[in-house]
Amino acid sequence: MKTPRELLFTKHRAAEPHLDTIRQAVMDELRHHDAKSQTWPTYFVSWLLRCSTPLWRELILPSRRIWTGLAAVWLLLLIINVSQRDPVSGAPGQPVRSPGVMASWQVQQRWMDELLADRSTPPEADHPRIALPRPRTEKQELMAA
Amino acid sequence: MPEVSAPEQLPVAQARAGEPAAWDTLCRRYQLPLYVFIFELVRDEQAAQDLVQETFLAAVRHLGGLREDAKFGSWLFGIAHQKCIQRWRRPTEVLLEEIPETPDELETGPDDVLIRREDEAAFMNLLAQLPPPQRTALLLHFVEDFSLEEIARITGTELGTVKSRLHYAKRALRKLVLERET
Repeated sequence: MKTPRELLFTKHRAAEPHLDTIRQAVMDELRHHDAKSQTWPTYFVSWLLRCSTPLWRELILPSRRIWTGLAAVWLLLLIINVSQRDPVSGAPGQPVRSPGVMASWQVQQRWMDELLADRSTPPEADHPRIALPRPRTEKQELMAA
Repeated sequence: MPEVSAPEQLPVAQARAGEPAAWDTLCRRYQLPLYVFIFELVRDEQAAQDLVQETFLAAVRHLGGLREDAKFGSWLFGIAHQKCIQRWRRPTEVLLEEIPETPDELETGPDDVLIRREDEAAFMNLLAQLPPPQRTALLLHFVEDFSLEEIARITGTELGTVKSRLHYAKRALRKLVLERET
């Protein structure tokens, strides 16, 4: 008496040499596949995939709903942020053209000019008085007087 | 005869890392069961050998997509099943088989049918005459002792459908055994 499994395997036992040849072909293909992928960009990509696969399976997949929810919330925040941006401010790098800002800037510029002008020509009073020595004769006249 | 070893003993992680020794072990473990399964479906020696090779090559290319290493066996047989369906090129005919009703209970264990030496040829004939879906389920049950859930996943069918197919296939086998005894 044989089980169906035993019967099936016994029947096909003769195919094993062919299957060994097939296994060798698969192994050759595997080596060829590895050799082809030895150029450094592909090696880097495969290394990155090898590293990221466990991360993906252990970190992302078990709580994929939470990650999807978080991604959706971030997307929503981004959309709200973009939709509420002040249109006057425009794109970064563009000059500011608001009249209010321009007027304020001009006032500040005027103050700066005034401050710099005052510094460049200091008043007389600020100069220290230097007592110049007088001639001896003048000194004697003053003493006599 | 290759033993049906526990899935965790198989070097699937090492194979994923591209170790040739691991692939060699996996190929040795599954080459004969895969061949038996495929041959009994396509009934052509050369086609079966080609499909075994195609299955292994597809596994080498796509092992990175396998989520659970413990399911390597059922994943591999799933690839082989797909290859067989592509070979037949008549998937709708195969998949749209009428299933009468789902049995309440199903005998577990592939060895509950024992075949006497004089019944061996009759068993093989009967296996060849079964409709492909029933034959597929029965072969997966006999060759690798896959669970009903695993067979459902491999064949892409409902659990009840698998139960039904196995039930009727086994009933046909029992009938054969009983007829020969009387």
